[in-house]
Amino acid sequence: MSKPSDLVQGTLDLLLLKMLALEPMNGWAISQRLKAISSEVLQVSDGSLYPALHKLEQEGWITAEWKPSENNRRAKFYSLTRPGRRHLEKEAANWSRLSAAISHVVRLEEA
Amino acid sequence: MRPRHWLYTIPLRLRSLLRSRRVDQELNEELQFHLERKIEEGIAGGLTPDEARYAALRAMDGLEQRKEEMRTMRQVRWLTDFVADVHYAIRSLRRAPGLTAFVVITIALGIGMTTSPFCMLDALIFRPYPVPRPGNVVTLVSTSRDNAFGGFSYREYLDIRDHTKSYDGVVASTILASVGFSADPGAAPRVRAGMLVSGNYFRVLGVEPQAGRGFRDEEDTVPGRDAVMVLGPGFWKHEFGGDPSVVGRVVRLNGTDFTVIGVAPESFPGMQIFVRPDFYMPLAMAHMFATDPQKNFLEDRDDRELGVKARLKPGTSRQKAQDELAALARDFEREYPGLNRDRGAAVRTQFEMRTRDNDANWKFGVIFTGLSLAVLLVACTNVAGLLLARARTRTREIAVRLALGAGRFRLIRMLLTESLVLACLGGLGGIAIGYASISFLSTFRIPTELPITFPFRVDNRILAASLALSALSALFCGLAPALQSTRADLVRGLKAADADVPGRKRLWGRNALVVAQVSMSLMLLAAAFLMFRGFHQSVGEGTGFAKDHLLMTRFDPRLVQYDADRTRQFYRLLAERVRATPGVRSAGFTENPPLGLDVFGVVTFVPDGFQMPRDRDSFTSAMDTVDEGFFETMEIPILRGRGFLASDTAEVPRVAVVNERFAKRYWPDTDAVGKRFRLDSATGAPVEIVGVARTVKYRQPTERPTEFVYLPLSQHPLARMVLMLRTSGDPLQLVQPVKEIVRSLDPNLPMLETRTYEDLYRYHTVEGPRVAVELVGTLGAVGLLLAIAGLYGVIAYNVSRRTREIGIRMALGARPPDILRMVLGKGLALVGIGTAIGLAMGFALEQVMNSVLFNAGGVDVLVYLIVVPSMGLVTVLAAYVPARRASRIEPTQALRCE
Repeated sequence: MSKPSDLVQGTLDLLLLKMLALEPMNGWAISQRLKAISSEVLQVSDGSLYPALHKLEQEGWITAEWKPSENNRRAKFYSLTRPGRRHLEKEAANWSRLSAAISHVVRLEEA
Repeated sequence: MRPRHWLYTIPLRLRSLLRSRRVDQELNEELQFHLERKIEEGIAGGLTPDEARYAALRAMDGLEQRKEEMRTMRQVRWLTDFVADVHYAIRSLRRAPGLTAFVVITIALGIGMTTSPFCMLDALIFRPYPVPRPGNVVTLVSTSRDNAFGGFSYREYLDIRDHTKSYDGVVASTILASVGFSADPGAAPRVRAGMLVSGNYFRVLGVEPQAGRGFRDEEDTVPGRDAVMVLGPGFWKHEFGGDPSVVGRVVRLNGTDFTVIGVAPESFPGMQIFVRPDFYMPLAMAHMFATDPQKNFLEDRDDRELGVKARLKPGTSRQKAQDELAALARDFEREYPGLNRDRGAAVRTQFEMRTRDNDANWKFGVIFTGLSLAVLLVACTNVAGLLLARARTRTREIAVRLALGAGRFRLIRMLLTESLVLACLGGLGGIAIGYASISFLSTFRIPTELPITFPFRVDNRILAASLALSALSALFCGLAPALQSTRADLVRGLKAADADVPGRKRLWGRNALVVAQVSMSLMLLAAAFLMFRGFHQSVGEGTGFAKDHLLMTRFDPRLVQYDADRTRQFYRLLAERVRATPGVRSAGFTENPPLGLDVFGVVTFVPDGFQMPRDRDSFTSAMDTVDEGFFETMEIPILRGRGFLASDTAEVPRVAVVNERFAKRYWPDTDAVGKRFRLDSATGAPVEIVGVARTVKYRQPTERPTEFVYLPLSQHPLARMVLMLRTSGDPLQLVQPVKEIVRSLDPNLPMLETRTYEDLYRYHTVEGPRVAVELVGTLGAVGLLLAIAGLYGVIAYNVSRRTREIGIRMALGARPPDILRMVLGKGLALVGIGTAIGLAMGFALEQVMNSVLFNAGGVDVLVYLIVVPSMGLVTVLAAYVPARRASRIEPTQALRCE
């Protein structure tokens, strides 16, 4: 079980963007969903989640809207923007390349 | 990709800026939501509400720092910081009201003093022509050896207009002409100022009339055919009350009916700086307004009275136009060798026209601006010194801020904001002072009936300049203190506040400031005195003729359509009857009284027997046309030969009277009486010199001795003449008798500009220079005040810093006079250095002023003998007071003080 703090900032951005690509959610829902999907492997600490979301918003990759949530309380729902979607695709492609390269090196047979 | 996502970021940034509190609130709400959901989760997992809450809070700790991070991310820091700095500056300035008031007043004075010269400079040099796209309006001039800014003749203008390709249009205009105007045929005519312009004038310049229309090109083709006129906007308001039905009305100009076809717009008072034409007429009507019946303005190629302007075609360079015009001038030279010899032509920009050499006004404006900027500099150095002193008292505060993590740049910004606030307040005050001084200047009246105005007003460009100057001053004043105080050594700063190393280097800045102030004030005061003395001296030299008991009045019989014979008869009868009037000692006629407001005519001549230099074949000289009573009336002595006589009529050979300087220049070894010169060229009419008059002042009291020629009225009859009366009693008593005489000769003929000569002289010699001296004197006084304040401040500050040291010295046995000497000595050294530098600058300034304004040279010692000791005395006093206070310090008190 990797500790959440091992996640590099860029990777966190990628995960958040992908979550929002699935559907618009608020901060709490994002962290829950991420935990669920990754079977508890990826747990984002609250201290990293909101600054990351904030930064993504400032960069213009995501945009926010205040909507009532399930229990009728107001919450801030984030969604992906068009530039954000393009950024996501680019970062996802980078990640595939990177992870494939790392896997390749790690699986090399030792002499 | 970048621009697209700005759609999202910009509204976001704006929102964080304008609704920052709201944004903060939302962040809190968001985190609160998250917290509550976490607590719910905990409860659902089996924890008690309190445990759940505790766990949730622990999981979310560190959020305050995160919030701060997020706030920083929003990156409108600089603006919110700026607003906060301004608030803080206002608060801290309010806590030191005395200092604030002093600084604001100092800066206000400094900037206020610059507004008037800026206005002057703007009006004289920089203000663009009041037409659309003024940048491509150029002036075409004819050049000769004597004058690089001459006019063209009508025929030359037509040739230029038709044979050049560089322009979108070429227009011509005359100088203002006095015209007899009557709104109704029956009314007595009044003199107004009209301008003759080419038919395309309004069209090419782009001036849209506010009523009616401008001239059409074809209205300017046939001489005398189209008697149409366009009114100037001011005249339309005054004379016709702004009534639009004036279009189509018929009025009388010089006895001829003219139809008003339009009114120029408010935005177009005229192309000249000082004069505004009352109305415009087509050049083709020139004969109605001719001054000299012997000249044919529309035909003579050498009657060069037209000012020519043109619009450069877009894309055409000035150089190309210049080359084309120079080639055309050479063609003229070839085709008309007698008239156009050595005459070139040039294309001049507005700036060149405004800054030409033979006009002193703008030079004065530049000097004035320089001086007032010097005062501003003095003010700023003062303020800088004060702010430096103040910065020292805040070392502890600044050290604390630095310790808490503020960046140095951030602190410098904060301190600079403070000086910016001060400078803005000062700038506003300065603008108010500027307005006041401009309205004071506008009350300055010129004794003439022509529509001359002072175009000095504060418009937006001046305001912008003043504000920019304020900002610059802020930077200048605040930078040094800000830099120095934030260079803090934290430890020392946090300890005793004024622990100060008596290092020499530290004080160098402030001492330099004081020296600069003293020297600049000295220079300003010297300048004021020099100007005063200079004018005084020129005036004291006297004019060369007697100014008292002299009445003058002008006549223009063209206003009542006299022909040449009737004019001659009128003047003859007038002279006879006036001379017979009791109380009149003598009477004479002149075209232009000396030191008057009009420009003297110019005569071209070739002196007989004079070795002409190789490159010239004629000379020019100013001239006046006078009658036989003139010299006696003005009491200008004829030194050799005779004045004019009634027998110098048109039938006998031409005669002239010249002045001494003329005689000495062309016939230095012999008597000029009996010598001849030829008019216009070596083959022109011969003129014999019958008398040599004393050289007097002609144009200005401060001019160098100039050559002058008088021609007799009887041989050169003119319509417009000024009658000069030497009276035995009060000249104004003779106004009524003269009026009676004129009325008996012709009740319709008006007497114009009736005044005593003293009145005229007073304007020229007293009013004008007086205002100038007052302005410079004010500058000097303000500068001195600032210097005194600065000096006092420096010495008082030094004393306050050395209080402990003084206490120790006194405890060790120093007595008050020793302390006095110690403190005063430093101050006197500064004053001494400042004086020396100021003297040097004053000498330099004197040379500049002499070459520009007066004809004197050398050094005026008396001025310095007055100014230096006075300044020395005053500054010593300024140093003495705090020094004395220092010597009275109680040792125990001093040692206790921090």
